Amino acid sequence: MMLKSKMPVRLNAAEETLIAQLRDAGDGAQAERLNVTGLPTRRVESYHYTDLKMLLKAVPPLVEAANSASAPALRVAGAYQLLIANGVPHPGTTAPAGVIVGTSDGAALSAHDDVLVRLNSALAKKSLSLTLEGSVDPIIQIDRRTEGAAAHSASSARIFVADNGSATILETYSGSSEAHVTNNASYIAVGRNATVTHITVDLSGDGVTHFATNEYVLAEGAKLRTLAIHAGSALARTQIFARFAGEGAHGDFGGLNLVGDGQHLDFTLDVNHGVPNTTSQEMFKQVGRGRSKGVFQGKIVVARDAQKTDAKMMMQGLMLSDQAEILSKPELEIYADDVVCGHGSTCGELDADSMFYLMSRGISKPEAETMLVRGFLEEVLDPIEDDELNEALTAVIDDWLVGAKQR
Amino acid sequence: MANPILEIRNLHARIEDREILKGVNLSIPAGELHAVMGRNGSGKSTLSYVLAGKDDYEITEGEVLLDGVDLLAMEPDERAAAGLFLAFQYPIEIPGVSTMTFLKAAMNAQRKSRGEGELSTPDFMRAVKEAGATLNIDASMLKRPLNVGFSGGEKKRAEVLQMALLAPKMCILDETDSGLDIDALQVVAKGVNGLRTAQRSMLVITHYQRLLNHIVPDVVHVFSDGRIVESGDKSLALQLEAKGYADFDSEPA
Ligand SMILES: Nc1ncnc2c1ncn2[C@@H]1O[C@H](COP(=O)(O)OP(=O)(O)OP(=O)(O)O)[C@@H](O)[C@H]1O
Ligand SMILES: [Mg+2]
Repeated sequence: MMLKSKMPVRLNAAEETLIAQLRDAGDGAQAERLNVTGLPTRRVESYHYTDLKMLLKAVPPLVEAANSASAPALRVAGAYQLLIANGVPHPGTTAPAGVIVGTSDGAALSAHDDVLVRLNSALAKKSLSLTLEGSVDPIIQIDRRTEGAAAHSASSARIFVADNGSATILETYSGSSEAHVTNNASYIAVGRNATVTHITVDLSGDGVTHFATNEYVLAEGAKLRTLAIHAGSALARTQIFARFAGEGAHGDFGGLNLVGDGQHLDFTLDVNHGVPNTTSQEMFKQVGRGRSKGVFQGKIVVARDAQKTDAKMMMQGLMLSDQAEILSKPELEIYADDVVCGHGSTCGELDADSMFYLMSRGISKPEAETMLVRGFLEEVLDPIEDDELNEALTAVIDDWLVGAKQR
Repeated sequence: MANPILEIRNLHARIEDREILKGVNLSIPAGELHAVMGRNGSGKSTLSYVLAGKDDYEITEGEVLLDGVDLLAMEPDERAAAGLFLAFQYPIEIPGVSTMTFLKAAMNAQRKSRGEGELSTPDFMRAVKEAGATLNIDASMLKRPLNVGFSGGEKKRAEVLQMALLAPKMCILDETDSGLDIDALQVVAKGVNGLRTAQRSMLVITHYQRLLNHIVPDVVHVFSDGRIVESGDKSLALQLEAKGYADFDSEPA
């Protein structure tokens, strides 16, 4: 009799390459694990809408050091820029007050039962390491780029925001227009009563597969606002894993999925309220154009003793074409009894009456569409208070709106 | 003789299987203001939507000329560019689009269609402020999202503000008076009268003779069951007020 567990999965080219790369990186255990399980398929719940085995057709060779650099994809006036090129952190020389920059060996994410986390932990050799103290004035921008020929790269950053500190961190992902596979990790610990805004913007080229895992840990009284924007890549998945570890903490988790023709872009959110008296709001918006797929999976977990948790999750989708697919799976997993939790999900097309109203004032159809899409997305950008940053992000949306028309 | 600004000939329109406009004939010469009165559901708003180009309706017969040009062949934005303006009976609320942004986009779209450059921000602000002042429109209202949370009367005043800023040649006002308090009615009437010129024509849909004391029409039409069944001077409105529509029903019961 043959045991089911002995049945080998049939490995595809991407999996073969990943296994060899894990071996080369000296992580035989992960290589063996992947050899046995293969990449997750739709049968794995957290990859239900993003079947990696099917979607990841090929993995290019592991990256080499960058010897050229393109311009950063997004510039925000006055921001303090740090570069991670082809996975290698380049801590700048002079840091602004309250900012300590360095590198540390190994990857930054905590262990997590997830293939992208395991790959990052095995392949990222060094992490950019940032400690932020007091009220950090300039926006900290981590400019992650993959340059040169098509490559598989892993990059990692570990950020500590000290107790009572405040900081705004912007991460951008871009590079040469080759079929890279990038696996990015950010671990952000928000200290007691600290206030942090963390924004990630994927601006990778058309052929890129972009993976990112943003892990957050919130101490007592911490205030965190996150915003993840997908505005590039062919295939992208940003995983947001947040853990409330101290009472009185609040998190606002936001996302903008700008999905154009031929793209498959996925936000997967897992917010864990582990202690009493914490609150969170999740607001994800997706716009789909052409033949495309946008995915949102959001899970809120409330632990047994996390009483008085207040969490509200919302997904809103806007389909600009008949072939745009928007998928949403909100989930609540509640083990405490005295909590207020809710979720909602809406999906629709541009309102015909609104279009007619705008056009009846002479506004052209494309401009009216743009106005309504912008209006739909505004709610997500509105809380970003820094004017320069808000403008830069608005420009990302406007560029997408213009570019996506030609896509 | 010059073209009438609006010329509607034997216009028939249906929605799904239901015929709503059943042969409308109407001609409005330059500079004239015509009023249309008629029962609820007789098709007045349908006429205004068909003229503005809402695509829910199928036009089965007839033609419409705006200053001699075929209106029905145009998209709604082209009709606006050609000089048509509809003040909606129920203005649409658009969250996320500020009224100012909208006004600027509309004005610039119109300038573009005339081959003019974009308005500078100070010129735009000045124009809005001036037009707003005559209509008692508070600047803070304009910072809000378009029509969102505006009171009934504020919405109507905002429609007239748009009309003033876009300076169309053919204005259609669909029950712009409904929902206005007595003072607001005077303000709006003054605003509308201020826009009457020898070149501009207006079609005013209303249920109330009262409005026509303030905005005096050249011609009054009675609309019944999808067509105009009677036309006369302003005394016709008084007659309607006194006797109701029964005399004008196309097929008396
Ligand atoms: N989308 C629609 N589907 C079906 N019937 C419709 C639709 N829109 C309008 N109608 C019908 O067409 C008829 C005319 O409506 P319309 O709004 O033009 O009337 P009106 O004269 O403006 O009335 P009121 O004075 O109440 O504003 C009504 O019977 C209405 O129910
Ligand atoms: Mg009506």
